[in-house]
Amino acid sequence: MWRLETAIVSVVFAAVLCGAAWGVTAAAWSWVPDPVLRYAWWVPGLYGAYAVAEIAVAPSWRYRVHRWEVTADVIYTRTGWLSRRWQLVPVSRIQTVDHKQGWLERLFRVATLKVQTASHAGSSTIEGLDAADAQRISEELAARAAELRDDAT
Amino acid sequence: MSGATSAPGPGADEPRPHDEPDVHSPPAAPNAPTPDTPAPEVSGAYVPTPDAPAHDIPVPTAHGAPAPDVPPVPGGPGVPDSGVPAPAAAGIAPEAERALSPLTLVTAPIAYLRNAIVPLVVAVVAGSFNPWVLGSAAVAIAAMLVGGFVTWRTFRYQVGSERLEIRRGLISRSRRSIPLERIRGVDVTSHLLHRLLGLAVVRIDAAGGGGESEEGKLDAVTAAEAERLRRELLHRRAVLRGETAAGAPAAEAGTAPGAEPAPEADADEDVYFTMPRGWYLYAVLSLGYLLTPFVALATVLGFLGQVADDLASSADADAAAQRAYAWFDGTGEQALLAIAIGAAVVLVALMPVSAVVSYAIAHWGFTLRRRGDALVTERGLFTRRSVTLELRRVRGHELLDNPLERLRRAVRLRAVVTGLGDTATRATLLPIGPRDRVGEVVERALIPYRGPLTRHPGAALRRRLFRAVAPFAAAAAVAAFLAPPWVAVALAAVAALGVPLGVDRYRALGHGDDGRQVSVRSGSLRRAQAVVRRDAIIGWTWRQTLFQRRPGLAHLELAVGAGGGAYTAIDAGFDDAVTFAAGVSPELVRPFLVEGPDERPAP
Repeated sequence: MWRLETAIVSVVFAAVLCGAAWGVTAAAWSWVPDPVLRYAWWVPGLYGAYAVAEIAVAPSWRYRVHRWEVTADVIYTRTGWLSRRWQLVPVSRIQTVDHKQGWLERLFRVATLKVQTASHAGSSTIEGLDAADAQRISEELAARAAELRDDAT
Repeated sequence: MSGATSAPGPGADEPRPHDEPDVHSPPAAPNAPTPDTPAPEVSGAYVPTPDAPAHDIPVPTAHGAPAPDVPPVPGGPGVPDSGVPAPAAAGIAPEAERALSPLTLVTAPIAYLRNAIVPLVVAVVAGSFNPWVLGSAAVAIAAMLVGGFVTWRTFRYQVGSERLEIRRGLISRSRRSIPLERIRGVDVTSHLLHRLLGLAVVRIDAAGGGGESEEGKLDAVTAAEAERLRRELLHRRAVLRGETAAGAPAAEAGTAPGAEPAPEADADEDVYFTMPRGWYLYAVLSLGYLLTPFVALATVLGFLGQVADDLASSADADAAAQRAYAWFDGTGEQALLAIAIGAAVVLVALMPVSAVVSYAIAHWGFTLRRRGDALVTERGLFTRRSVTLELRRVRGHELLDNPLERLRRAVRLRAVVTGLGDTATRATLLPIGPRDRVGEVVERALIPYRGPLTRHPGAALRRRLFRAVAPFAAAAAVAAFLAPPWVAVALAAVAALGVPLGVDRYRALGHGDDGRQVSVRSGSLRRAQAVVRRDAIIGWTWRQTLFQRRPGLAHLELAVGAGGGAYTAIDAGFDDAVTFAAGVSPELVRPFLVEGPDERPAP
């Protein structure tokens, strides 16, 4: 799914870049320096090459890195592919649990779980959970958080 | 919204004050319950005279005998309240509804006027005193007066047993209800005008649903009333939370006399700090205050420009311009230059002076004291503002300084408080002052941090240096080829300045733990050392970019539900950071360490 998502974003962005390049060459304003005109098509070209590489590599890489674990007291997530991020959020400090499914996610029957605490930095997101799992976990977490709840700040 | 207060449940639905008497006088009941448009007899009975003693709550006279529903007799049983069941425990009866001080009729139009005066004057002048323009200006002023009057007539607030209700508006009515339990702080501010008239603005901070704060503002009540409100609200909140029973009886004794005429004679008050004269001079070290004259100058120049624009349309402006040009063309050139240089010199010379003056105005008579279970700061020469920070909401503190201040060993102290908007100004606990003295205050008012700070690995130094130097060095290299040489030299100079900056940034880095609190320090131009209680940490995040992976560094982010939300130990050693976190909150981190490699970066 990440692959598809990346692909869609890339295609849209590449299209925008192509449009810009075409616009610049077609209009050929006098104030645009000459080299810019000559190499205008390089930008979408380079981006296209990068996008293909990203589509091929990043999703599986990310899939390999991403881990999550929910224990009785703590939610642990590991995300990122080039830059990594390990996060621990205690369940007792959870304020809200969001369970979200975009249209693409529904297609693949996965869901995103977003756990928020009083601090913006303490908010954790788990992407690509199995939809049924996500549902179950979010309910469990909410119940558990209510149980453990102190002031949560 | 109806007047049916037959059964005020103990808690859910407290009776509106002027309904109380009506319970016993049924004929009056139907017309009482529209508080937004006070019926004349109601408002007549309620208007608190500004000089009335704070405890003298005007009681609806419809009932004959004044119902003693006033000060929440601490610990006393439900006040008899003439048969109406006391809604909440601990004898907290809802108070009567109150209006703002009538003097608001003076202040509100003036406040409006202050905003509108420039456009009005410009309009009148630009309209060359055309009667239509004059007329509409007069109408605008009249509208302000009427608006102030309407606001005063319709604005009502009431301290209920569980909620603070604020109602206002004639045409579009609004009613805000703040649960007392959620109140986080009560600020009292008074501007110069307010102080002349003995008024104050009360702002009530409350926790909103989504964590953002919600405010109630009472603009303006008498100073005595403001003080009473502050105590009353905080006291009621404490009782509602059941804190007074468990907590200090002294706190109760401290808050209860709030209703008595001598509020300053408070046993449970502890002044930690009053600003010594010499401290005003520290303003010189603060860049912000040094630059004030320039900001002021820019404002004035902008205003003059505007006026000049307006004047330029008039006919004789041309002639004046020509005369000025002629003078300038002749002998004026050198004189003008001299004036410009002189002005610049004077301005630079005045910088420290004006810094001290503006700083003194803002921080005049800064005091920090404990009152009950809250820290109260008060400051200002013209605008006197007092901020109340509950101690139980304080999660730690921050010490801030810049390089200049570090030379003089001066720091600022700021509290890390949950749910406080506008932290930059309101959480300030101490102004710039010598480190030792600030340390003493921290010792008394808060919990000082005693542990050492662990230095970050040498790789962090390389990263700091690279960050500080590289961008400008690269720019200088590019400029050497493409731009005139002086640009390249300037950029290279900036890059060279990056070296001490990077070193200093590295030296500032550190994290530590003294068993009770955790401390993190970073920054150079604005160095901040945050000290946060251990149990205030609500999450750990390690971040590692591609470039940090090889040297084994990572940012460690401490999520805190207060202050800035997170404090980051920049470029700590990764293993170091993990052990650190595990040491601070073992129950959180340990289970994941057992799994070993999971916590380590993949090679």
